[in-house]
Amino acid sequence: MDTAPQDGKIVRIHGVHKFFQRGSERLDVLNGVTLDVPEGEFLGLMGPSGSGKTTLLNLIAGLDTPSQGEIWVGDQLISTMTEGQLASWRTRNIGFIFQFYHLLPVLTAYENVELPLLLLPLSAAQRKQQVTTILELVGLADRMYHRPGQLSGGQQQRVGIARAIVTDPTAIMADEPTGDLDARAAEEILNLLCMLRESLHKTIIMVTHDPRAAQRTHRLLHLEKGLLVEQVNA
Amino acid sequence: MKYLKLIFRNVGRNRLRSLLTVLVTVVLVFVVTLVWSVLWLLDQVTTEKSQNFSAMVTERWAIPSRLPFSYADPLSRGAAHKPGDIQPLDSMTWQFYGGTLDAKNFTRENIIFGIACEPEKLATMMDGLNDLPAEQESQLHEDIAQLKANRQGIILGHNHLDATNKRIGERLKLTGIGNFKGLDLEFEIVGTFPAGRYDTLAAFNRDYYNNELDAYAARNNGRKHPLAERSLNLMVLKVPDRAAFTRLASQIESSPEFSNPAVKCETMASGISSMLESFRDLIWGMRWLLAPACLVTILLVIANAISISVRERRLELAVLKVLGFRPYQLLILVLGESLLLGSVAGLISAGLTYGIINWGLGGISFPIGFFDRFMIPTAALWWGPAIGGLASLLGSFLPAWSARGVKAANVFSKVA
Repeated sequence: MDTAPQDGKIVRIHGVHKFFQRGSERLDVLNGVTLDVPEGEFLGLMGPSGSGKTTLLNLIAGLDTPSQGEIWVGDQLISTMTEGQLASWRTRNIGFIFQFYHLLPVLTAYENVELPLLLLPLSAAQRKQQVTTILELVGLADRMYHRPGQLSGGQQQRVGIARAIVTDPTAIMADEPTGDLDARAAEEILNLLCMLRESLHKTIIMVTHDPRAAQRTHRLLHLEKGLLVEQVNA
Repeated sequence: MKYLKLIFRNVGRNRLRSLLTVLVTVVLVFVVTLVWSVLWLLDQVTTEKSQNFSAMVTERWAIPSRLPFSYADPLSRGAAHKPGDIQPLDSMTWQFYGGTLDAKNFTRENIIFGIACEPEKLATMMDGLNDLPAEQESQLHEDIAQLKANRQGIILGHNHLDATNKRIGERLKLTGIGNFKGLDLEFEIVGTFPAGRYDTLAAFNRDYYNNELDAYAARNNGRKHPLAERSLNLMVLKVPDRAAFTRLASQIESSPEFSNPAVKCETMASGISSMLESFRDLIWGMRWLLAPACLVTILLVIANAISISVRERRLELAVLKVLGFRPYQLLILVLGESLLLGSVAGLISAGLTYGIINWGLGGISFPIGFFDRFMIPTAALWWGPAIGGLASLLGSFLPAWSARGVKAANVFSKVA
């Protein structure tokens, strides 16, 4: 895999284009995005629907590949990786938080958090220690054997966050993490994200429509028609 | 192993669907096991052995075969005349007899079909009776000793014993039917065949039978019974191997002693195959239509259940991909679910089939040729899981392949 000096930047995006082909029609979603994200930054992405926020997040998380341009995360060029390489890379480097939590309903909170660890060469005892520590960190030590259906939305999102950070990833991608929560739960989740960023020095890239969430970021980027049109320091 | 818990939980996710899939698979594996059990035994008896060949001598040009009893002695020596001629290792005469317990109202239940033979040959020349478990073997030897000691003794198959409601030690009188009309025999039941292949057969002492054929003439002003000159139906000879069989067959078929009527000598397997010839279409249908149809149905049922499950879980599969699961790991997860369903259903089915048929019903009643009842072989205990597992793997391959190819970015763009 290609490597390059990082200069304190954890994510470097250069001239990224992404288009989708729908029959004969070409749909340009990102039109030459260039962006650097320093390590430990809490970056917010805002913009109207269809502006390309989620697409950009997916590209940085290695869920998709750009049509053109380069994406570096840490010291690795991920834009040229194969699907299999991206999958292994994601396990160790990316934590993903979803708007609708997407926990597996048949598994307990503990088992949901343990899922990504199954892909790493860890013993059962090591996995147990890591999962227990993380669930304590997100304040769910007393709910670890509950299934998602037995947890509130805020608690489910905490499990989702625990699952995202349990592998100690390089960066955390959060796609509207407060979008499905009431104001109080949203506030708790944002506090938790800030706490994680400060205590674990994690880089967080968050897509949001919520102005209160946007206020908590270090830097806020606006995307419109596939272009970064505005940069605001929070 | 790490994924086993996930596989188990996913199978338990929609319990009703999993239960129905298992039930359908259990029923279909049950049918396949029954069919294969019948075919398995027929294959066993029609497959040539490499050693301890049994040869069968019958009338060449007529069915049913009727040979003079005078053929028995030269045939038991393999028609050997010259030095260097081969002789069989052992021999057994078969004289068929059919009679009923109720001459006025005979039904399938009160008809007994038996063979008159040398009692001691039952233990050495009858397929399946020469390799019994120790306990059954010792019981058979006791019964044979009784048969030798009591010229009017008879060993009955279990079905006859049940149908006639008689017990060992009781007497029975048979009135000859069909070709055996006029030959009424009286017996004392001295034993039973081990349960299974000979449930509908009876065996008795040939000396008594031949005596009764002679006595018929004495009772009818010297007029012999129509079967008197042709009472030997077949002769079974044992030879060490195929080469010996070929020589013996040539010796017997070319011997002038057996020219009127002419005889043919074939291997037991090929002889039985000839007898099963009239069932050829039925056996073909069981082997190539019924069993494959059941297998394809299992495959479709499981394919359908897994397809629905994969369609319902595209989002979860995408989440697993986001977490770092590789495509082949998703393939394994989905195949694992169907393998679990199929093999568990197969195992349950095999166990139930074996238990119900062998212990509960005493075999499958399926009269075909010489055979009336078929037992489920022990091998069927692994057929079930193998059929269920393999069919489910094949059936779920396409849905699993589709799960493998789930594009997380596409799935989440639709959710958003």
